[in-house]
Amino acid sequence: MPTMIAVAGNPNCGKTTLFNSLTGLRQKVGNYPGVTVERKEGRLRLEDGSDVPILDLPGTYSLNPGSPDEQLATDIILGNAAHTPRPNLVLCVVDASHLERNLYLVSQIIDADIPVVVALNMVDLAERSGMSIDIPSLSRSLGVPVIPTVASKGIGISELRHALYAGGISRDRRQVWRRLWELPEPVERETEELARILHHANGPSHPAALLEAMNLLAADTAKVDMMERYVPDVLAHVRGAHEKLDFLGFSRHSVFVESRYAWIRSICAGSVRWMPTGAPSWSDRIDSVVTHRFWGVILFVALMGFLFQAMFSWAALPMEWIGNSFAGLGQAVGQAMPPGELRDLIIKGGIGGVAAVVTFLPQIMFLFLFLGLLEDTGYMARAALIMDKLMSRVGLHGKSFIPLLSSFACAVPGIMATRTIDNPRDRLATMLVAPLISCSARLPVYALMIAAFIPPVMIGGFASLPAITMLSMYLLGLIMALGTAWALKKTLLKSGPPAFIIELPPYKIPSLRSILLLMWERAWAFLKRAGTVILGASIVLWFLATYPKTEGGTAADRLNHSYVGQAGRLLEPVIRPLGFDWKIGVGLVASLIQREVFVSTMGTIYGIQDESAGGGNTSLAAKLRGERTADGRPTYTALTGICIMVYYVLAMQCFSTVAVMRRETNGWKWPLFQIGYMTALAYTVTFMVYRAGLALGIGG
Amino acid sequence: MSARSTLTLGDIPIGASVRIRRLNSRPDVSTRLRELGFCENEVVRCVTHGYGNIICEIRNSRVGLDTGLARGIVVSYLE
Repeated sequence: MPTMIAVAGNPNCGKTTLFNSLTGLRQKVGNYPGVTVERKEGRLRLEDGSDVPILDLPGTYSLNPGSPDEQLATDIILGNAAHTPRPNLVLCVVDASHLERNLYLVSQIIDADIPVVVALNMVDLAERSGMSIDIPSLSRSLGVPVIPTVASKGIGISELRHALYAGGISRDRRQVWRRLWELPEPVERETEELARILHHANGPSHPAALLEAMNLLAADTAKVDMMERYVPDVLAHVRGAHEKLDFLGFSRHSVFVESRYAWIRSICAGSVRWMPTGAPSWSDRIDSVVTHRFWGVILFVALMGFLFQAMFSWAALPMEWIGNSFAGLGQAVGQAMPPGELRDLIIKGGIGGVAAVVTFLPQIMFLFLFLGLLEDTGYMARAALIMDKLMSRVGLHGKSFIPLLSSFACAVPGIMATRTIDNPRDRLATMLVAPLISCSARLPVYALMIAAFIPPVMIGGFASLPAITMLSMYLLGLIMALGTAWALKKTLLKSGPPAFIIELPPYKIPSLRSILLLMWERAWAFLKRAGTVILGASIVLWFLATYPKTEGGTAADRLNHSYVGQAGRLLEPVIRPLGFDWKIGVGLVASLIQREVFVSTMGTIYGIQDESAGGGNTSLAAKLRGERTADGRPTYTALTGICIMVYYVLAMQCFSTVAVMRRETNGWKWPLFQIGYMTALAYTVTFMVYRAGLALGIGG
Repeated sequence: MSARSTLTLGDIPIGASVRIRRLNSRPDVSTRLRELGFCENEVVRCVTHGYGNIICEIRNSRVGLDTGLARGIVVSYLE
């Protein structure tokens, strides 16, 4: 009976869709201890009614890891992960259309002497392309059960559950393990001998020691010499084996891979029949446009422009509905409760603060919907390819684009997505600049400033000025991220030219279920944050903005006298050169935790300030726009709004990002460097924008 | 050195199929290429040229490579 199942496979094989089909909503997302690799664990109900934990491992091409997430998958499968017990059954998900390459990983996992069940996924696509697979023959050749599935349609899931249940039971009846493929005889001899030494020295099982021996024999001699975890005797033996095999004329770097593929090729020759359709596939036809050196770039820019325009305009109605609902709730509470501190706390500290942020949930969900569609259709990999040339100009490669694109939703998964980048300096550079990409937390700030200060006029009859302004902020972040990456790669993080290799999955109809599940997970995470951190911050802020109380005077006088007012006045001299006053200063300080707290802070401040005027349903944007100085001039202008947005584009205002940077870089050096350079950048650029705006007569 | 021995994957026209002779990249990059199927004697087809990269088809999989990497893969036309 399996007690822990791991789901492994190449990227883009449908592994996560299959995992979602097996677990339904009975899954949770967290982190592996000590690393920021996302841990996706679910519960699988077996036929006997028992529940077994099932882990969705990061996609990997081989157990010879080239990046941190591949290292984690390898460690878990081989039982080298201290934080996770070794699974006693691995579900290998294989893309049927790319059988040979997918079987490379499967053969390595079988070699690790761990029970395996193969899910031959996307068989419908394989058949449509002219492939005919003799599944019983394939199963006999591999020595493991092979179950055809179409995860996106739920086909084969019940048979797969049965095989997983039976796979665990059959473990006890398996024959003694033996490797199914062969190496040239001298190579076989050296491998077996090194494996015996490793088994006695370090204690891994014989199959795991064989895998380790192969990796050591294939590695560069110079690289092996630097491996501190091996005792000198083992390293000396490895060097000797290198010399012997080199002398005999074997290409150590290729013989293991080629021998394994030769075996895989022979299996496929016996199990797969090809009847090619002759016509170019749909993926061919689409790629001829999408990856065209000219039209591909145009299409990409148009797609990104459409994404932002849609995100802004489609979300307007649901946002208005949510805002009105919260306003109604505030009024209902106001009528139901007697006047007093508690009512004030609930309406202004609680409802007011949270409402200001939750209103932007529709925009955030649209963003995740679009990113999910780009990923699931297969376009994301093409986008990385198109962006590779641009990325290479700043010293990175196309794979760095995907974490940056993810950062449009949130920098935390964006930073985690850098685990696919092999070069550590490229990875660090990408992590350091990812927070410059405008994330969903900045959306409420941008939306508030745009609503308050940017007139809703159409430009050229096609795009609205608010949408153009929003897009400009996103572009500013992207340009600054690329510029900073260029500077880092020229100075602190120099390295050789990156090698860009990326698999392009075939285009497919996206799985709506998977995308909706992703949207739900992210929306829930956002709402949880709103209900905890933001609610807490709003209540604390209400308290600091209400006390100490003073008798008489206007609401503005009472606010000035409060703790918040005093703190804001202390900060004001520092931020006055940016065109900010003490109230904005309070917002900046409060939103150090999370950017969207700026909006709830303003909501609380103006909710409190406006109590003498009855508050009512006047939006926060209108209140900001209507704020007047003592001599009747607008306190805040369009220039103020633009400067606030520019500051938020560039400043580090997110504890979660700092925390994930600390974990990912194993220390405080790089997170502190990141906070420092982003603060300096935000202050300098905002100052320049403010001064330029004043010179142009835009505000002041 | 003959023209045939210096022909690389970055040089071949769209639609052409060639056989891989040698990988001249860094050892770690070559290992990764082999694991993705770019082994010596394997047949690869050029699908399209992008801006600074190429898309090729190998073992029925589509892979994008930057042009620099493609120029490190020595190939010959099929006999």
